[in-house]
Amino acid sequence: MNGSESIVEVKNLTITDSATDRVIASNISFELKKGEILGFVGESGSGKTLSMKTVVNLLPSNLVAKSDKFIVLGNDYNEISENAKKALIGKNIGLVPQNTVFYLHPMFKIKNQIADGYMLYNKKKKSEGIERAKGKLRIVGFKDPDRILESYPWQLSGGMRQRVNIALALMNDPQIIIADEPTTALDSTLQAQVLDLFKSINEKTGVSIVIISHDLGVIRKYCHRIAVMYAGQILESAPADEIFENARHPYTKALIRVIPSLNIKKDERLMEIPGFVPEKNRERKECIFKKRCSEADERCNGDVKEGTEGLHYCKCSKYCGGEV
Amino acid sequence: MKKSMNKSRKKWNVSLAIGTVLILAVVIVCIVSFIYMPHDPIEMNTTLNFLRPGANESYILGTDNFGRDILSRIMMGSRTVLLVGVVSTAFGAVIGIILGGFAAMGKNIVSSIIMRFVDGMMAFPGILLAMMLVLVVGRGEKGSIVAIAMFIVPTFARLVYSMVLDTESMLFVKAAKSYGITKRRLFKKHYIPLMATRLITQFSSSIAHAIMVETSLSFLGLGIQAPNASWGLMLNESRKYFLTYPYLAVAPGIAIVLTVLGFNLFGDGLNELLENGKGGKR
Amino acid sequence: MQNYIIKRIWSALVVIFVVSFITYFVLMLIPGDAAQLILGTDASPDKLAELRNAMGLDRPWIVQYLEWLGGLLRLDFGKSYLYGTSVLGLIIDRLPVTASVAVLSILIAMVVSILLGTVSAIKRNTAIDYFSRSVMQIGSAIPTFWIGMLFIIFFGLKLKWFPISDYSPLSDGLFVHLRSLTMPCTVLAIGEIGMMLRSIRTSMIDTLDQDYMDMARVKGLKNKTIYFKYAIRSAMIAPINVIGMQFAKLMGGTVVVESVFSLPGLGRLLLIAVEQRDVVLLQGIVMFITAVVVFTSLVVDLIVMLLNPKIRIRTRGE
Repeated sequence: MNGSESIVEVKNLTITDSATDRVIASNISFELKKGEILGFVGESGSGKTLSMKTVVNLLPSNLVAKSDKFIVLGNDYNEISENAKKALIGKNIGLVPQNTVFYLHPMFKIKNQIADGYMLYNKKKKSEGIERAKGKLRIVGFKDPDRILESYPWQLSGGMRQRVNIALALMNDPQIIIADEPTTALDSTLQAQVLDLFKSINEKTGVSIVIISHDLGVIRKYCHRIAVMYAGQILESAPADEIFENARHPYTKALIRVIPSLNIKKDERLMEIPGFVPEKNRERKECIFKKRCSEADERCNGDVKEGTEGLHYCKCSKYCGGEV
Repeated sequence: MKKSMNKSRKKWNVSLAIGTVLILAVVIVCIVSFIYMPHDPIEMNTTLNFLRPGANESYILGTDNFGRDILSRIMMGSRTVLLVGVVSTAFGAVIGIILGGFAAMGKNIVSSIIMRFVDGMMAFPGILLAMMLVLVVGRGEKGSIVAIAMFIVPTFARLVYSMVLDTESMLFVKAAKSYGITKRRLFKKHYIPLMATRLITQFSSSIAHAIMVETSLSFLGLGIQAPNASWGLMLNESRKYFLTYPYLAVAPGIAIVLTVLGFNLFGDGLNELLENGKGGKR
Repeated sequence: MQNYIIKRIWSALVVIFVVSFITYFVLMLIPGDAAQLILGTDASPDKLAELRNAMGLDRPWIVQYLEWLGGLLRLDFGKSYLYGTSVLGLIIDRLPVTASVAVLSILIAMVVSILLGTVSAIKRNTAIDYFSRSVMQIGSAIPTFWIGMLFIIFFGLKLKWFPISDYSPLSDGLFVHLRSLTMPCTVLAIGEIGMMLRSIRTSMIDTLDQDYMDMARVKGLKNKTIYFKYAIRSAMIAPINVIGMQFAKLMGGTVVVESVFSLPGLGRLLLIAVEQRDVVLLQGIVMFITAVVVFTSLVVDLIVMLLNPKIRIRTRGE
């Protein structure tokens, strides 16, 4: 896993709203290595979901993404055609969405919507598609795949639907799976189930997984590397253990402090940090966390400094500017 | 394509603008027609019949089979269109609002009967109902107004009925009722202002509908009668000759289209404006 | 679900009943009655009274109404004053013409609306979209009879593509039949397209915004599949309802179209009945047409309901 090739490499991605010129994500750079599980952590509104949506080309039409480099599985998104992008994503990337109810079409039985992507890209007949679907449904833990295939999405429980989503994402044996808040809609036992599932799939098949979450505590055990996002910028990224034992950025440290207390609900503000997540002017060169940071001092004036030590990157004038 | 952002509050939009312009145009033509028309619209002059548009400077749009100036007849026709269209819709609207409001406030056997009746009336294709009523009330302007008013009634009755029921469930109404407000006052002071906007847009659309039906009736010979001018009647009169003189069929039709379009666009534009102002779904 | 179906059917029956009442009542108000019609206005009062008695016209009208209603239920619509034959017979004679025109025009309207509406929703705010929206507005504002006349002038006279007032029934051959109907059906369709296009476009825009569409896109499915398998399924529900409602307008439209194109259909018959004050015939036709409208609306409602698996399955077990 360490030292393995990167299958996604994004440099300086900026996402802007074309209607209001507001910057949502500013100069983000990240990398996904083969076989690793990457956790993207941040509050809602931090831009983590949208950044990942650019990888699967699902950005809303009013948003524009610009980047210096956007390489996915050896292809540069800035250069290939829309159709090539579509085929690349369809064949190689699986999306496990956040909200279980709305991503499956309510008017089709599962059997009629789970296999069509597979059938298209592998030139298979319906019966072969169904067989394959049954296999994937077993992998995600269903003992009776036939019953699931015959059901409509609204006949299944939330946890079951989430597992169907995962099975669907696995149909093409993708190299990348992007899971957007896969546990938000589930209770804690199901959460563990789903995350264990991801872990075992990763160990068995070497699929690279990106888990997006607002809950650092939940994904702690499951990710190899974690990136912390705030207000459209990546503030820190490092191997998971490093983050927890050796967090540098004050924001990360604050997030870690909050973990034992409770499951943070999506829109609840962090109790410990006064102030609000900035919406405007996210492209500023100055430290974006400065106003809410309890440790800010005169080193934080002027442009924020970044620093990388080994695998540990952080964006903090105080802690990563070279001096510690 | 994903969800687009909310637009800022606008004071106008394209539909509203075009609609207003068209309506004003018709109204102005109508007003002008009382002051000046190029020729007497009723005066027949068979020596000058079937003049093509542009053949004679004095008859810009040409003349019909009786030598009557088409432009003047169109101007005169605008009177009928506005008169019948607006008056019949107004009548129908008032009756409909009262019926609907009464039924919604009452909620007893009588109101169910009323609404069933309204449903029945709505089931009739508009023209059929109008045709039957014209037989009863007689042709001509009065007949048309009554006939058309009648089929406008159910639209407004239904609209008011459902709006009142919707509003009733709102908290502030329950509060008002708790301190013993009278039904009449409730209706006048609270309901009507809330419903006013929807009613106005419906009014505009219904005028458009009324005008369409009026012209159809006149076309079939059941509406305005000769020697009056109505655009539908003009087209009817041209039926015998339009294969030889196609231009006869053009001008009145365009006038109808522009007028109906005007009222439709106005209603739509108003609707769009008001929906945006409310800030999306309730 | 059973409950709903029963309620709906009952509702439709009540409406038809009310319609019969209104029809009879309104036409009862017509000045002058059948006896005058038959004998002429200067017939002697005695003769008139005698005929009225024989025809049962001097009984209280409620009784006459119930008798007529009873007849309807036995499918006896009475005898036309003008033609002297059974009203139902006359209706059935003319029905195929009107039916062909109606069905064909709805098909044309549907095809155009679905294609244009879908494209318009996908490429929102581009040239095609503005074009569609103009079509929507203008289409609703064009009087059917006028565009009919224009079509006759242009396609019939100048281009000579279609016969002008020459209706050919199906028995003359399918192609000839369709050719004679093309102009009237297209003309009617233009009136329909307005509302249908608007409904489809709106519905499609809403549908395309849904999350399950994102899923279809991520899977990398072909556009054809995305729009015509997934999107249409949800997007067609509201428009089908609109079609049901449009049917009424359509029936009204056929009166005018049949007049302009001289088609021997129900609309024409209706016009004759009105002009000649043949009350029995008039009652029969109006009743028939309106009943068809109500029935169609009911059927469409039920179809939409059955199309939605949620309602079909869920309520069955409860």
